[in-house]
Formats: sequence, structure tokens, C-alpha cells
Amino acid sequence: MQTRPLARADLVTGVVLVIFGLWVLAESYGMPRLEERRINPWTVPGLVPGMLGVVVALLGGVLALRSLFAGALRARSGLGADDVAEARASMRRLFLCTGLCVVYAVLLVGRIPFWFATGLFVFVFIAAFEWHPQDDRRASVRKLAVAAVIAIVSMVVIPYAFDQLFLVRLP
Amino acid sequence: MLDGLTHLAGAFATFANAATLLNVIWATLIGIVIGALPGLTATMGVALLTTLTYKMAPEQALLVLISVYVGAIYGGSRSAILLNIPGTPANAATTLDGFPLARKGLAGEAMGLATSASVVGTMIGVLFLAAIAPLLAEFALSFGSYEYFWLAIFGVVIAGHMTSFEDALKGWIAGFLGLLVAMIGQEGIHAVDRFSFGTAELSGGIGLIPALVGAFGLAEVMAVMKGRAAEMATKAVDRVVPSLRTMWHYKRTIARSGLIGTIVGIIPGVGEDIGAWISYAAARRASKEQELFGKGSKEGLIAAETGNNAAIPGALIPALTLAIPGSAPAAVLLAAMFIHGIRPGPLIMIEAPDFVFQVVWMVVLATIAMGILGIALTRPLLTILRVPRERLMPIVFVLCVIGPYAITQRLFDVYVMVFFGLLGFALREMKYPMAPLVLGIILGDILDKNLRRALVLADGDLTPFFTRPISAVLWITTLLIILFALPPVRRAATRLMRWDAAP
Repeated sequence: MQTRPLARADLVTGVVLVIFGLWVLAESYGMPRLEERRINPWTVPGLVPGMLGVVVALLGGVLALRSLFAGALRARSGLGADDVAEARASMRRLFLCTGLCVVYAVLLVGRIPFWFATGLFVFVFIAAFEWHPQDDRRASVRKLAVAAVIAIVSMVVIPYAFDQLFLVRLP
Repeated sequence: MLDGLTHLAGAFATFANAATLLNVIWATLIGIVIGALPGLTATMGVALLTTLTYKMAPEQALLVLISVYVGAIYGGSRSAILLNIPGTPANAATTLDGFPLARKGLAGEAMGLATSASVVGTMIGVLFLAAIAPLLAEFALSFGSYEYFWLAIFGVVIAGHMTSFEDALKGWIAGFLGLLVAMIGQEGIHAVDRFSFGTAELSGGIGLIPALVGAFGLAEVMAVMKGRAAEMATKAVDRVVPSLRTMWHYKRTIARSGLIGTIVGIIPGVGEDIGAWISYAAARRASKEQELFGKGSKEGLIAAETGNNAAIPGALIPALTLAIPGSAPAAVLLAAMFIHGIRPGPLIMIEAPDFVFQVVWMVVLATIAMGILGIALTRPLLTILRVPRERLMPIVFVLCVIGPYAITQRLFDVYVMVFFGLLGFALREMKYPMAPLVLGIILGDILDKNLRRALVLADGDLTPFFTRPISAVLWITTLLIILFALPPVRRAATRLMRWDAAP
């Protein structure tokens, strides 16, 4: 049996799905049966979610078992030095991007004026990704200026376009 | 037949005005740009434009959405050819031969062929849309609760299998998770809250559009930022006007890909991307120049681009007649139809017979605009592709936030978008397809109501689920799909076939 590249992730996902499916089943079992309303017992609200919980738990179980056979518990093969550097850089980009997006959508939008949140987000996003430690002063200033211009344009144009032209309400 | 032609003519009259022309042009152009930009997919484009066309007349709003859809699936070929990055998932197969062609200095010709293949593909699909949709609607009138229950299960199983050929299990997991997502909120028979944990927001259920914008918007932004930066294959562009002789030379491939694309489009939840892959694989198998595939085969490029565009009208067929989308963008279109008070489903040919033909015209108009704009605006589109991702992605994400909020004016929907973005990204990284998840969210309600109704009708007896003719076809097909996805069964079947074929 060959080792699947995602075997370990599959094992974890499988176990999570089994637990999740069983939890759904338990929740569905506890849903009101509406006996006092004398409903047809075949229409109880928990029926379908309970069934789906069982199916998800089963599929999760198969996934977990399959990953065990595919070598989920065996040691992983190492990566080359170049791959490690690129993998690290791409993870850094991913976390930076996710962090900025979550902060903007969950913490800023709805709490401070939308145009301001948007301008701030666009500026920080561009500046953070284009900033490079090796840049000299002039290059850094130029990059910041570009980020600022795009941010200002988007904080003016986006709210105007949506609010005035498309008559859409903004957060 | 004559009746159909009358409706077709009547439907055309709706669109014979200047507003239509204007809307088709700007919407198709936006679609092409959305498609061309990696990080903005057709699903995301249609979802965003749904919020912008909220106040328009229904037929004009849907015209805009369909134009964006058609434009985006085509526009994705630009980045596939020039950057080796599919602009939308539908253009993944296009990169295989489009990018090598561009490397050889034939970027212009590749773009021209992609344009004409997309136009022909959509037109083939639209013929089937006009011919099949009315018949399917009539046929679907005979569906009862038992059939709808099986249709929901069949949809999730086949979509899970076909969007994840290598690993159907993951497709099914995605599909059943989607069905479970649909269970959140008040259920449709007794109005009991499920999985809402006492919050008013959750008892309203999970909106399809916020979930889609998350899974296809935020997840895409994250994937683009995680990947390596794109590099343009070439700066110079040769002639872009497509050579009709080349197209004629590959007429068989075009016809086959158009047919495959349409059929794949009709299958619930299985859309343009799979349409392109299967067309590409079929073209390679039948080709006389197999060795060129993957190294810059014009035939391969034509097959992929015909197949993905033919899947658009294909995906609209079940959306209109069964209210079950054939692809992820069609799922958004379906939601948009409900927002605009149109009720797709088996009754559509009775309640609004003109509407199906209006959709036919919408696709035709968008296709014409796509062909003209695609050729005329080759160079301006090149400039757009040069915008670095660092500057584009924050703007895309701002749009992801505005889209879900604008429909319901609830911040909760923004949080739903973020949640599905993170979940969608994690699932994608682990090779789970997104389309069955989306389909599951739509089919969940159908499954829930129809299973319980059918059980009441049969008083708990399960026999009608298996003995009614249409039900029988559906459950047997579902079972066969599951069996054939199991490796031992598949191996045995292949061995048996070989044994049969042996002299």
C-alpha cells in the first residue's frame, strides 16, 4: 500500500468527523418530538439530521481507517531545503493574509465607519505584502505611497459606487 | 414544436431594446475581467452581481448575471494561457495546452481559438437547453416526494464522485456536510429550531450566498496569496483573430466536447471544470496527435474551452426545471431567481413558459458579446492581468464582505462568509471538492421535507421508495455509482471487461 500524501490529515479529519457525526446524532435525538402537538411521528424534526449524522460518522470512520492503512502513523518523508524555504514563505503569506482578512471582517467592519476600515485594510494589506527588508529608503517610501494611493481610491470609490450607483447598503 | 417557437419569438421581444444591449455589454465585460483575474471566480462574480442587480427588473437582472457567468468561464482562459493559472476552476484543463502554446509565441492564436471554442461550446449547449428544458420540466411533473428524496441523495453522490474522481469518499463527505449545513435553522414542516443554540441569527439558517462567497471568494484569496506569484508567459501577442480553418479541422472534437460539456453540466453540482476535464480526456483518447497533448496541442485547448462553456447552458437545465443547480455558479443564479420572485421547478413551463426561452436568449446574447469583446479587447485585458496580486486581493476581499451584507444587511452573514472561507480553504487544501458542499446546502431542504412527507404518505412503509419506477432508476444508479467508486469493485469490473474484449 502506497503512502498517501494526506494520510495524517485524513486520519485527524476522519476522527473529527466521527465525533461530529455522533454529536449531531445525539443533538437530533434530543430535538423536540412535539408529542403534545400530536404530529405524525414520521415527521419529527430530528429524523433527517440524525440520519445525516450517522452517514457523516460512517464516512469519517472509513476515511480514518483508510488513512491508517495508507500509513498515517508512519514517519513522513523529509522535504528538500528549497522546498522548506518556499513552504515556510507560503505559510507566512497565508497566515498574514488570513489574519488581516479576519481582523478586517470580524473586528473592524461594523465597529468603525466602513470607508475607514476599508482604507485601513487595503493599505495595511498592500504595505505588508510588498514590504521587503532589503529595500532601500526610496523604494520603501515609493511602495508605501502606492499602497496609500490605492487605499484612498478604494475608500472613496467603493462606498460611492455601492451606495450611490448600485443603491446597496454598506455595513 | 410551433408552440415552442412562439415562446422563443415572444421571449426575444423582451430583449429587443437598448437597455438590454447596454446591460449585456457591461456585464459580459465584467464577467470576462472577473474570470481573467485569478482569485475571482465565476461563482463569486455571479454572487457579487446578485447584490448589485437587486433593484433591477427581474429579466434584466438575470440577463446581467448570466452574462457575467458566460463571460467569467471564458475569461478564465486568458490567465490560463498567459499565466498558467486558471482564472476560474473551469479553466484548469486549458492551462495544459494553452500555456505551452503561449510559451511557443502563439499566445494570440491560443486566445483566439479559446474564444471561438467558447462561443461554439456555449451555442451547442444552448441548443440543448432550448430543446431539453421544456421536456425535462414536463417529465419532472411526475416526480413525487419519493423521487425528490432520491434525487437529493443521487445529486450528492454523483457530484461527490465526479468532482473528486481520485477519491470519491472526500466528495461524499463534502456533500453530506453540505446537507448538514442546510439542517441549521428552522425546519420547514413544524417550524422547530435545529442547531440554532438559542440564537435568532442561526435559526434563520445559513444563507447560500454568504457560504458561497466564503468558499469561492475568501478561500480563493487565501489560495492565491499562498501560492507562488504568477509570471506572464509572453509580452508580445501574435494575431488574435481565430483561424476558422483550424476550428473546422477539429470539428469532431468540438462536437464531442460540446456534447460532453452539456451532459456534464446537466448532472447536479457537476459543472464547467469537470466538463472541461472530461472533454479534454476524451479528445486526447480519440486524437491522432496524442503526443502533442500537454505540450501545446490546439486540439486539447479547443476541447477544454468548448467543454467548459457548453456546461453553462447544461447547468441551467436542471436549475430551471428541477430547481437543482448543475454547477456552483448556477446555484447562485438559482438563489437570484428566487430573490427576483421567479420560481424555477417543474411548474416553470406552466407558470412562466416564456421564461425558459428568455434564458435561452440571455445566454445567446451573452455569447455574442463574449465573442466580440474577447477578440476586440485582447490588449487591454493583458494590462489587467499585470496587476500584482498584492494589490488586487485586498479589493477582492472587500467585495467579499460587501456581497453577503448587502442582501440581508446582517453582519452575521459576513461572519458566515469568513467561517466558510476558512473551512473551505482547509477542505480544499486536503483535496475535498467544494461543489458537492454547495449542492448539499441546496439539496438539504429538499431531502428533509421530501423524506418526511414520503414517510407520512407511505405510513412508514419503505417499499414505495424502492418500487416506484423513477425512484428505482435513481436508487439503482446511486448504488452503482457507490459500488464503482470502491477500488475492489472497479478492479473486478475492469478485469471482466478486458476478459470480454479478449478474442
